[in-house]
Amino acid sequence: MRLTEVLLLATLLFSIGLYGVLTRRHAVALLLSIELMANAANVVFVAFATLRGGPGEALVLFALVVTVSEVAVGLALVMLLYRRHGDTVLDLAREARH
Amino acid sequence: MTSDWLQLLTLDLAVAGIAGLVLLGDAVLPGHGRVWGRLTAVLLAAVLGASFVLDVSGSTPHGAYVSDAWVLFFQRVFLCAALLAVLGALDWLEARAPLRQAEYYALLLFSVVGMMILPGARDWTLLVVSFELMGVPLYVLSAWAKNDGPADRPKLAAEAGLKLFVTGTASSALTFFGLALILGFTESTLISAVPTGALPPLAGVGLLLVVAGFGFKVGAVPFHMWVADTYQGAPTPFVAFLSVAPKAGGLAALSVVLLSGWARQSAVWEPAVLLLSVSSMLVGNFFALPQTDARRLLGFSGIAQIGYVLVALCTHTEFGVAMALFFIATYVFTNLGAFLVVHAAAEQSGGHTLVRLAGLSRRSPFLGAALLVFLLSLAGIPFVAGFWAKLFVFLAGYRAGLVWPVVLGVGLAVVGLFYYLGVARSTFMSEGESSAPLHAGVALRAAIALCLAAVVGIGLWPAPLLQGATRAARALGTVPGASATR
Repeated sequence: MRLTEVLLLATLLFSIGLYGVLTRRHAVALLLSIELMANAANVVFVAFATLRGGPGEALVLFALVVTVSEVAVGLALVMLLYRRHGDTVLDLAREARH
Repeated sequence: MTSDWLQLLTLDLAVAGIAGLVLLGDAVLPGHGRVWGRLTAVLLAAVLGASFVLDVSGSTPHGAYVSDAWVLFFQRVFLCAALLAVLGALDWLEARAPLRQAEYYALLLFSVVGMMILPGARDWTLLVVSFELMGVPLYVLSAWAKNDGPADRPKLAAEAGLKLFVTGTASSALTFFGLALILGFTESTLISAVPTGALPPLAGVGLLLVVAGFGFKVGAVPFHMWVADTYQGAPTPFVAFLSVAPKAGGLAALSVVLLSGWARQSAVWEPAVLLLSVSSMLVGNFFALPQTDARRLLGFSGIAQIGYVLVALCTHTEFGVAMALFFIATYVFTNLGAFLVVHAAAEQSGGHTLVRLAGLSRRSPFLGAALLVFLLSLAGIPFVAGFWAKLFVFLAGYRAGLVWPVVLGVGLAVVGLFYYLGVARSTFMSEGESSAPLHAGVALRAAIALCLAAVVGIGLWPAPLLQGATRAARALGTVPGASATR
């Protein structure tokens, strides 16, 4: 069944993104991983809307706008980190604890 | 027709208008930083007053947004929190970032607009977009203190912002993924459009993902890892706001989705929310014990407090919801006040560690007494607001048959006594490093005094807030779609 395959693809994309968020410490890689997660959601929206009908398709536009505005803020934060520190590696375990 | 439903958004639009005014005003007339803060405070107080006078109840033609007692209760809580946060930040912004004051207020207000739309949203689209409107300005604000902090750790602000950003956006991706799965099985984007009969497993997974996404914002375990680090790195007057208002917003979103929409599928979400609740109580209380930084301690204590609220949410009764509302309203005043006292003390003692708070009552009797009352309220000692809040929440849980989470919660509240009273003891009994008197600014003292008045007032006379919370809970219960469950 096609829906199952598309959903599997989306889950795979989402899992890769989630894995990246949990393991990567480079701020740009984190942003990319988050984008993967968000786009996996969009794949599911479109898959359901085209294969089964339903209201999901319009949501993709909202999801895109929200993600873009989030990432714009995120890039600004990465710039701030870079200017302050000279690189974009988040080492939270070292910095923020005591 | 248009004006009919536009007036439902009067208060939200007023706050958005203030934000636009402050932002544009600063661009046109630069260099009057402090004026915009005062103007914001006055206008927010006016909007708060208007919320008691204007009648804005009703619902939009397609039911995407409703305005009733439930919405109004949350909007007042958010307006109070915003007003207190603005008052608390006035002096700090003037001293630390005089050229970036208007933007701070504007961003804070944009976030408040998102929060104010949130409890009235009855459509998934509106709900997730207003949730993001609430969240995105917070990422910016938590990285506000670019030049703040001790010289040896100058990049905490950017770290704090990025940590909040990464968890926040990852959680919104979770929400969207879950939402995509849910909408595959529903007819419309209304939250009340719940699949009838047995829930398809994928839609159930979707619902749990949505709950997880909202769980990040309220800081429930296991989605709590951003809390302590962000609280430590972000500017303290902002953390005072961050620690209360978005949590109330997250609670509103969870209640709208789970209780007004998906109450008849409670078999799917109730175990999950109960698990969040119990683990939040456990982790919050036990991780707070060894903390040496006041902000981290209050962060973990906030996680524990969210655990208590979620018990009331799990009851999915009208009484339980009312008690959750009462709890979150008292929590807003208590925690905001506690953070503002910590901020006032830290500004002049040079750090937020508990050691620096020692001897606070001798340096400033007002701040010392205020902190004591807030800590007693957080701990749940009788005759301050937090006591009733805890009592009512546990009562609601007990009545709904959630005996073992209530017993666990009471036991953990006793654990909470150790760290709350430990801080109180050191502020009153210990000798501090310095005995110089502390002087907080007028606005900051006013904000702390307002919180103090609210906490003591609710403690002595809880009836009005209780009635308001009950009315609000009843209004949520009468939304189409929830009636079938009772």
